[in-house]
Amino acid sequence: MQDWISMPLVGFPLVASIVLLVFVSNADESMRKRLSDPIRMACLVFSLVLLGITTGMFYQYFGNVSWEGISFNTYEFTHRYNWIESLGIHWTVGLDALSFPMVWLTTFLLPVTIIATWNEKNGAVYFPIVLAMGGALIGVFVALDLFMFYVFWELTLIPMFFLILKWGGKDRKYASQKFFIYTFTASVVMLLGLITLYFFQDPVHPLNYAGSMTGRTFDIPTITQHALMENSNGNWYLGANIQKILFAMLMLGFLVKLPAVPFHTWLPDAHVQAPTGGSMLLAGVMLKMGAYGMFRLPVSLFPHALQYFQLVLMVIGMVSLVWGAIVCLGQTNLKKMVAYSSVSHMGVILIGIATMQPMGWAAALFMMFAHGIISPMLFAVCGAFKHHYHSMEIGAMRGMAKHSPWLATSMMFAWMASLGLPLLAGFVAELMMLIALWYFLAAEGWSVFWMVGPALVLAITAGYYLWSMQRTIFEGGDETQPPASLHGEPVPDIANPEKLAMILLAFFTILFGVMPWIALDMMHDWTIQIFEGLILPVLGGFSGGA
Amino acid sequence: MSNLTTVEAFGDGFVSALCPELMLFAGLLLLIIVPNIGKGTFRIPGTQIRLPWLMGGTRFKFTSDPRLPAWIASITLGGAFLNVLYVFSQGLERVVIVSESGKELLLINGFSRIFEMIFFGALALAAFSSMNRLQVKGTGSKVSEQELYNNRRQADFYILMVTCALGMSVVALAQDLFVLFIGLELASFSTYVLVAFLKESKVGVESGMKYFIVGSVASGVGLYGLSMLYLWAGSLQFSVLATAFAESGTTALPLIGIGFVLVGFGFKVSAAPFHFAAPDAYAGAISPVAGVLATASKAMGMLGLVRMLLIVAAPESSDGSAVWLGCLGAMAAITMTWGNLAALGSDNPKRMLAYSSVAHAGYMLAALTAVGAWNWDATVSGDAGAAAVAVMTALLFHLVVLVAFKLGAFLVLSILESEGGASRLSSLGGLAKREPLLAVAMFIFMISLAGVPPMAGFLSKLLVIMGIVRIAVGDMGAEIADGGVYVLADMHWVWWLALLMVINSAISVFYYLRVVVVMFFDEPEEGREGPLPSGWQVRLAILACVVTTLFVGIAGDALIRLCEMAAQSLNYSW
Repeated sequence: MQDWISMPLVGFPLVASIVLLVFVSNADESMRKRLSDPIRMACLVFSLVLLGITTGMFYQYFGNVSWEGISFNTYEFTHRYNWIESLGIHWTVGLDALSFPMVWLTTFLLPVTIIATWNEKNGAVYFPIVLAMGGALIGVFVALDLFMFYVFWELTLIPMFFLILKWGGKDRKYASQKFFIYTFTASVVMLLGLITLYFFQDPVHPLNYAGSMTGRTFDIPTITQHALMENSNGNWYLGANIQKILFAMLMLGFLVKLPAVPFHTWLPDAHVQAPTGGSMLLAGVMLKMGAYGMFRLPVSLFPHALQYFQLVLMVIGMVSLVWGAIVCLGQTNLKKMVAYSSVSHMGVILIGIATMQPMGWAAALFMMFAHGIISPMLFAVCGAFKHHYHSMEIGAMRGMAKHSPWLATSMMFAWMASLGLPLLAGFVAELMMLIALWYFLAAEGWSVFWMVGPALVLAITAGYYLWSMQRTIFEGGDETQPPASLHGEPVPDIANPEKLAMILLAFFTILFGVMPWIALDMMHDWTIQIFEGLILPVLGGFSGGA
Repeated sequence: MSNLTTVEAFGDGFVSALCPELMLFAGLLLLIIVPNIGKGTFRIPGTQIRLPWLMGGTRFKFTSDPRLPAWIASITLGGAFLNVLYVFSQGLERVVIVSESGKELLLINGFSRIFEMIFFGALALAAFSSMNRLQVKGTGSKVSEQELYNNRRQADFYILMVTCALGMSVVALAQDLFVLFIGLELASFSTYVLVAFLKESKVGVESGMKYFIVGSVASGVGLYGLSMLYLWAGSLQFSVLATAFAESGTTALPLIGIGFVLVGFGFKVSAAPFHFAAPDAYAGAISPVAGVLATASKAMGMLGLVRMLLIVAAPESSDGSAVWLGCLGAMAAITMTWGNLAALGSDNPKRMLAYSSVAHAGYMLAALTAVGAWNWDATVSGDAGAAAVAVMTALLFHLVVLVAFKLGAFLVLSILESEGGASRLSSLGGLAKREPLLAVAMFIFMISLAGVPPMAGFLSKLLVIMGIVRIAVGDMGAEIADGGVYVLADMHWVWWLALLMVINSAISVFYYLRVVVVMFFDEPEEGREGPLPSGWQVRLAILACVVTTLFVGIAGDALIRLCEMAAQSLNYSW
C-alpha cells in the first residue's frame, strides 16, 4: 500500500513551485529569459509525474484500490499527521470516488495547461505559479480536515489572483480584485459556518479528543460519522433551525464559487481578463471546488436541510441554466460567451444535486468531470484566438476555416462538445440530468412542462454556439476577412504546442463521450453508496432509481 | 501551576524575577553614559597631575559612532526579549513583589511575561531597523556642529525607545492601579516624543502635538477615574478593588470610575470613538515608531483593558454576564466597522494601516466581550473557565503575531520612506519590479492582515472567531445529543459579533489587496526606479517578520500552547 502517495501530490507541486520562484526572484531580466525554457520543461515534467501517479492510482498500480465499492464516508490512501494539535487540527488526506476524479482531472489539466500556454510571456514565473495552483487545487480535493480544506480553499486564490493580475487582459486590475473579494467574502461566511459546526459537535459523546484545547475535532470523516449517527428520519442533526442555518452558510461559500446566479458576476470578469492558462484552470477545476464542497459537506452532513432547501436549489439551478444561456446569446466577446456558458453548465450541476436522485447526482459528478475537460478546451481556443488575432470579438474575422484550419477545427470541436453533441462527454451528463429531472418531476407529481426550460436551453446553447461558429469560421465565402487587429499581416494558425493540447483535450472528450463508464462507474457507485449509506436511512425512501 | 513566591523589593529573588527590567535599566544607563565617554581628564587640584576620567572631552571614535546608541538599544531590548523566552523555556515561576507594608506591587506570571515578550520583541525590531533611519553623517571630530547635533539625537531616540519598553513592562507587571498608571505614563510620554521626533518636518510636529494633546486628555480622564476608584474603595490594589467590586460594584461611583479609566486605555488601543488621533499620529511618525504604536502600545492598552475588565470588574459567576458587556460589544462592533470603512477611503498607506489597526482593535474588543459573557447561562455555557481561557488565548496569540505582520508592513514602508516618502499609495508603485522580495514580503503581510491562510493572521483571526463562537455555543452540542432542541436565537449574541467580524474581514481584503495591486501592477513614481537604498538591518528585521508570519501560520501549535499557558495564569480561579 502506498498510503502516503497523496502527500507528494499536494506537497510536491507547492514546494517545487516555491523553490523555483525563490530561485527566479534572484535572477535579473536577461537571466530570467534564459531560465524560462528549463523552468517550463521542469514544470511540465513535474506535472507529468503527478499525472502518472494519479493514472497509476486509477489503474490500481498504486495501492491496489478499487474505486468502485468504497462505501460512504470511508476513504482510501488516508494519511494523518498532527498539525495544530491544540485545536484538534490534523493533516488528514484521503480519497474516495468523489474526490479522485477531481484529483485526476487536476493532474491531467496541469500538463495540458502548460502545453497550451507554452509561449506565455515571463514563463520563468508563470509556470511555477501554474504548478502551485495545481498543488493547492489537489489539496482542496484530498483534504479530509475542515481546517486543511479551508486553508487550501483559500490558498487557491493566491496563485489565481497573480495569474490574472500579471498575465491578464486590459482590465485585469479590476477583475483580479473582484475575483478575490467575491470569493473571499463568501468563504469567510462559510468559515464561520464551519467553526459553528465545529463547536456544535458534542465533545463528549463520540470521542474525547485528548490533547485538544476544545475537545473537538476538525476531522471530516468523524464529523460525518457523527452526523450520520444523529440524523434519522424524524431527528435532525443539531436540530432543525441550526441545521438549516449552517447549511445555508456553507452553501453560500460553495454557490459563489460554483458560481450560481445571482452570485456569478465575478466569473465573466475574471475569465475575460484571465490569461489562457488561468482560465483553463479556473473553469476546469476551480469552479468544481464549489460542487465538490457541496457534496462533501452540506449534502453529507445535512440531508434534512438539503431536502428542505431542495426547491430553492432547484430554482437557483434552473435560473443559472436559463439565464446563463440567454446572456450568452447577447455576447459579442468570445470569451465572455464561453464564461456565461460555464454559468449555464454549472446550473446543470446544481439541478442534478437538487433532484436528489442517484441519477441526478451521478449526472452532477459526471458534469463536473466532463465540463472539466471541455471548458479548458473552450478557453484554450479563446486564448489561441486572442493570442494570434489580438481580438476577442466574434465578428472580427470571417472564414477562419480557410486560413487557420487547425484553430477552426478545434473551435468547432470544442463548441460542439459544449453544446452537448452525442458521443462527446458533455452529452452524457446533460442526458442524465434530464432523465433525473424527469424522475424528480414525476416523484413530486409536477407537470412535465417544467422540462421545457432545460430542453429549451439546449436549443439556445446550440443557437449561440452555431451562430458564433458561423460568423467566425464559415462566413465570407472565398473572400475571407482577416481580423482588422492584425493590420494586414498574414493570418497565422495555432502553434504546435497548442495543437498538441487541443488534440489531447479532444481525445479525452471523445473518450469519455464514447466510453463514459471509465469515470462514470465510480461516480455512479459513489452516488449509490451515499444513497444507501446516508439518504435512504435518514430520509426514508426515494422514488425513481438509477 | 507553580506556587506563588512572595519577594520583597530588593530582597532575595528580586533580581532573577525582574531580570528583563533590570537589563533594560542597565541598557538605559549605558545609553546615557557610553556616547559621552571621551578623553576627558581630571586635574587634581594644586598639582599638574591629570587623571583620565573619561567623561567629556573629545570622544573616541568608537563612542562617537552615530550608530552606537542603536546597537546598544537593540542589544538591550533583544537581550530582554531572549531573557523572557528563556524564562518561558525554563518553566514559569509566579512571583509577586510586595512593598514593605505587604502591598502587592508587581506580579510576574505567564500572562505578564507574554506581554513583556510582545513589548520587547516589537521595540527590539523597531530599534534595530531604524538604525539607518535617522540622518547620520561622519564620525569622530570631522563633523560639523549641525551633524554632531544630529548624531547626538540618536542617543535621545534610543533612550526613549528603552524607557518606552520599561514603562510598558511595568504596565504588564503592575498589581496596583497607581503603579500601572506610572508605567503607562512613562511609556506614553516616550511615545509622544517619539512620534514628534522628526521635528524638521511639519507633519511630524503636527502629529506629535495632536497625539500628545489627545493622549494627555485621555490620561487625565483616566487619572480622574482612578481617584474616584480610590475614593470608593480606599485602595488601588487590584485584589482590593476586585473584592470591593464583587460586593458593591454596580453602584454609580465605581462604574463611572471604571468607565473613565477605560477611556485612557481605549485611547491606547485606538478603539472608537477614541481613535481619532491614531491615523494622524501614525502618518506623522516615522514608520518604525508607527509600527510600535500599532503593536506594542496597542498591546499595552489591551492589557490595561483586560486587567480592568476581567480582574477588577470581573464577570460574576452567578449569572455570568458582566455589567460592561453590552457597552463593550457595541464598542467592538463600531470600532471594527468604522476602522474598515475609513481604511477603504485612505490613500496614504500609513493612514490605511492605522485604520486597519483600529479594525483589529475592534476584533480584539469582540474577543474581550466574549470573555465577559463567559458564563451566560448555567445550563448551556459549559465549562465557562475553559471557554474564557480559550478566548484569552486567542487574544494573546493575536497580539503576539500582530507584531510580526503589522510591524513588518510598517518596516517595508520605512524603507520607502527613507527613499523619499511613503505617504501616497503610488509610492508603492512598481515595488515588485524594483525589489521583488520586498514586494513579496509586503504581500505576505497584507494578506496576513486580511486573514488569508496559511498566514499567521489567519490563525489568529480563526482563534478569535473560534473563541467567540465557543462562548456563544457553549455546551449546546452535548445538550442536543441528550435530546435538547435549540435554535439560532438560543446562542449568545456575541455570535453576531463573530459574523460581523468575518464580514469586516471581507471588507478589509479590498484595501489590503489594493496595496498588492499597486505593488505588482502599477509603474513606479517618476524618479523612483531601481532598487531601494537601505541598510541590511531593516531587511533582516523584515525577514524575521516574514519568517514568523509564515512559520506561525503553518505550525502555530507551540505558540498557541504558550498563549494558553499565559491565559490560564491570568486568573487562577478560571
